[in-house]
Amino acid sequence: MTTTASKGAQAHKLMVFVLSMSLYGLATLVSELIPSVQVGIVEFSVEFFLFIPLTLAMLFDPLSVALGAATGELVFSEIMLGQFGGIGELEKFLTVTIAIYIAGTLVRDPRNLKAVAAAAIGATALQLAMSAGVDILKVIFAVEEFEAVPGLPESVFFTEGFAFLNDLLFSGILFCLLPTLFLVPRLYGKIEPLLGMKPRTAEDAPEVPSVKLVLGAVACFVVAVLAACLSKAGFSLIEWEAEWAESTGAIFTGLGVAAVIAIVAAFCLHRNATLSRA
Amino acid sequence: MLEKLSENVMDKVSIDFLRNQVLRNAYGNDDTPIAKLDPRVLIVWYLFFGLVPWFLSDVTVLLGLFLFCAVTTRLARVAPLVLFVFALGVFSQTGYLLIVALFFGGSVETLVPLLVLTLKVTTCSLASITVFSGLDPDRLSNGLLWFGCPERLSFSISFAYRILPIMFEELQNILLSFRLRGQAPAHDTLMGKLRWLVYQVKTIVQSFYPLMLNMAKRSRTTVEALELKGYRYASSNMDVLKIKLSSLAIGRNDLIFAAVSIVWAALCFALPVLAGVLL
Repeated sequence: MTTTASKGAQAHKLMVFVLSMSLYGLATLVSELIPSVQVGIVEFSVEFFLFIPLTLAMLFDPLSVALGAATGELVFSEIMLGQFGGIGELEKFLTVTIAIYIAGTLVRDPRNLKAVAAAAIGATALQLAMSAGVDILKVIFAVEEFEAVPGLPESVFFTEGFAFLNDLLFSGILFCLLPTLFLVPRLYGKIEPLLGMKPRTAEDAPEVPSVKLVLGAVACFVVAVLAACLSKAGFSLIEWEAEWAESTGAIFTGLGVAAVIAIVAAFCLHRNATLSRA
Repeated sequence: MLEKLSENVMDKVSIDFLRNQVLRNAYGNDDTPIAKLDPRVLIVWYLFFGLVPWFLSDVTVLLGLFLFCAVTTRLARVAPLVLFVFALGVFSQTGYLLIVALFFGGSVETLVPLLVLTLKVTTCSLASITVFSGLDPDRLSNGLLWFGCPERLSFSISFAYRILPIMFEELQNILLSFRLRGQAPAHDTLMGKLRWLVYQVKTIVQSFYPLMLNMAKRSRTTVEALELKGYRYASSNMDVLKIKLSSLAIGRNDLIFAAVSIVWAALCFALPVLAGVLL
């Protein structure tokens, strides 16, 4: 009995994943075609359609919705349009996942509109704060481009703060808070039967995230920040000079290249072996 | 004249146009030399051309890599819309700096670091366009699967391309029916323009309500159909994976492509050294 129940739960999680992925993917694909406003390194990141995964996360399993939304954004708007930015995409993936997951777990009863409103605006604020933090760190790490401009850090803090407030007050309320408040009560009790589930009540609400999960999320976020900094700055780890052949750096570069090639080749061989053994 | 131009632009950017472009990008170029290559070779190729340019700062080397990526993008016959979005992205990342630099009386010296940055961004983006737009989605997801990517991701890629045209059509139908039922406010005055904007936003938000319900039904059907075929067992079973990936084979064309890439990259890296020796 328990196995059937857990199998059903797994299938439901997959359904929720597919639902959230396709809806949010379509929405981001549309909004990707509207150019984003970028002033210097500061990006006015307006997530116009964040209300879709927010609404779904409050009605269904939050983790599946969060992962589905982030995957949908990655697949539809990055890979399909060929805009895949490599490791820099990790940052967006994680900020969206964390914010939506937290919003979904905070709402214990979707009929409580106060909780829905607080979670919606809180998640938007969290997502915006995380990306603003990443942007500021990027500037701190990637100073070489900005040495020429005196007083730049102040101006970056100012623009980031301004962008944060502007995004939160304008698009946060207009595109996250109000649509969520509109959609959650209307969809509650209607959309769950379509997936063969029971509506969420205060008793069977998802568990509040454990300490381990929070720590894991923080660790992932730190990695994402580092990845974003690396991708933005494009540190010249390898200084390519004409007289490189004489320098000791060349030997290390050569060793590094050889190591990378060896790792890739070894991985391919290993994968081939496991696949042919199966 | 201006009115005609904007009408023309609006005509191009309809939802139908978007759908056609994305579909054409996904399935319309199966016969290009890039699409025929082995996805695994292309992914390894991308790991080089998508990452290495970030760590270089020599204009000649970057220019060489950029030319090569431009040629592969041409070979992949990428849809114009994708190229347009790409150009917009490059401009928003570095192009505005160029204008600002020129405005403040920048000289050729200030242009060189900008050129380096632009070349970096362009080369990496072109490499990703070549691989991710040039390949058939099924082949791409098979390639990712071979490298041990989560099954969910490769499933998402194949599924996304199939569901996207359906969802585009549905969104368009819902938007049209909203437009038929309601009357858009007149937007001559400033107040009217504001009201018109609010009306548009409201329509989009409201049209997601039926879309969500329809999509919920559709995703249930999809998952149940997948479950009937034993999708979740298959995704973790090595035997199934082997059968699924047995279509991947490295042929002569792959070897030629890899060889050309390696020789070209080596030439690019050797060029500054050769120049140093000769001069």
